[in-house]
Amino acid sequence: MKILIVDDSSTMRRIIINTLSRIGYTDVVEGENGKSGLEKLGQGGVEMIITDWNMPEMDGLEFVKTVRGQNPVIPILMVTTNAAKEDIVEALQAGVNNYVVKPFTPETLKEKIESLLG
Amino acid sequence: MDQSEIDALLAGGGKSPKKPKAATKAPVAEPVPAPSAPAPAAEPHKDGSGHVISELDTVTAVTERESNKVMDQLDQIGRLVARQQQLVTDMMSHEGAQTSGTQKAIYEIMSASKEIQDKVFEAMDLMQFQDITRQKLERIVYHLRQIHDYIVDLLGTGLKSDTERPSISHTIAQTGTTPDENKAHADSVIEAFKSQKKG
Repeated sequence: MKILIVDDSSTMRRIIINTLSRIGYTDVVEGENGKSGLEKLGQGGVEMIITDWNMPEMDGLEFVKTVRGQNPVIPILMVTTNAAKEDIVEALQAGVNNYVVKPFTPETLKEKIESLLG
Repeated sequence: MDQSEIDALLAGGGKSPKKPKAATKAPVAEPVPAPSAPAPAAEPHKDGSGHVISELDTVTAVTERESNKVMDQLDQIGRLVARQQQLVTDMMSHEGAQTSGTQKAIYEIMSASKEIQDKVFEAMDLMQFQDITRQKLERIVYHLRQIHDYIVDLLGTGLKSDTERPSISHTIAQTGTTPDENKAHADSVIEAFKSQKKG
């Protein structure tokens, strides 16, 4: 299972990668914003996306909308500091399947990933 | 207020003693007389008005870089512990390792190793603070730019918006909000959204 992680913070990408490896997902590709996320997605093989919201060049919301225009089924998990109800609803309307607010626990990430893949 | 005063104000160095609250009041609808002549466009922000912003950018870059160093160290500790565990596992097959005293010692070593590994993972998870702090700084930079752009609009000179900057979080989870509370909050909104969609 190849997972695409899109976040402009390299620290956060490493944290997510570490969490994923602890729950058995080691095949990971990384993008540092929506634009590079789309490039990685275009290379094929990605079965799930974990994306941040606030990023330069192309933010997570625009990225999700673009992905949904091309692929309506790939599971997308948004992991962000945006915690307001309106933000969560906006992300869900854009096509996000689930939503995690930072800071998160590894258990939360695991639970969300498994619910998306289950 | 001319450009040099704006620059000084944003740089933090020019505390503008005569009008110390000018920056915070800038967006308020207080009539500001138009300048009689366009303010001089010279030296817009090479090392002046953008100073605070670039300082904050530097801070975020440095914290990111240093956080990665911490992550490297934690990774290294994790690898060393894994190696230690492997060595102990190998030792268990050696002659004499089956005595109860040795078995007990091995068990204790392995338990301690596991504990170290768990702590390393916990420390890695705690590094999320770096990203959250960075985003808080980006919000500050964003608002500083808003204030700056507002003033510049009035005076017709200065720093231009940088389209390369990240979008900002409008609602970062409050400091002290636990991950469990965050999760419960997000889950409840998702559930409400789903039921609304069904209905």
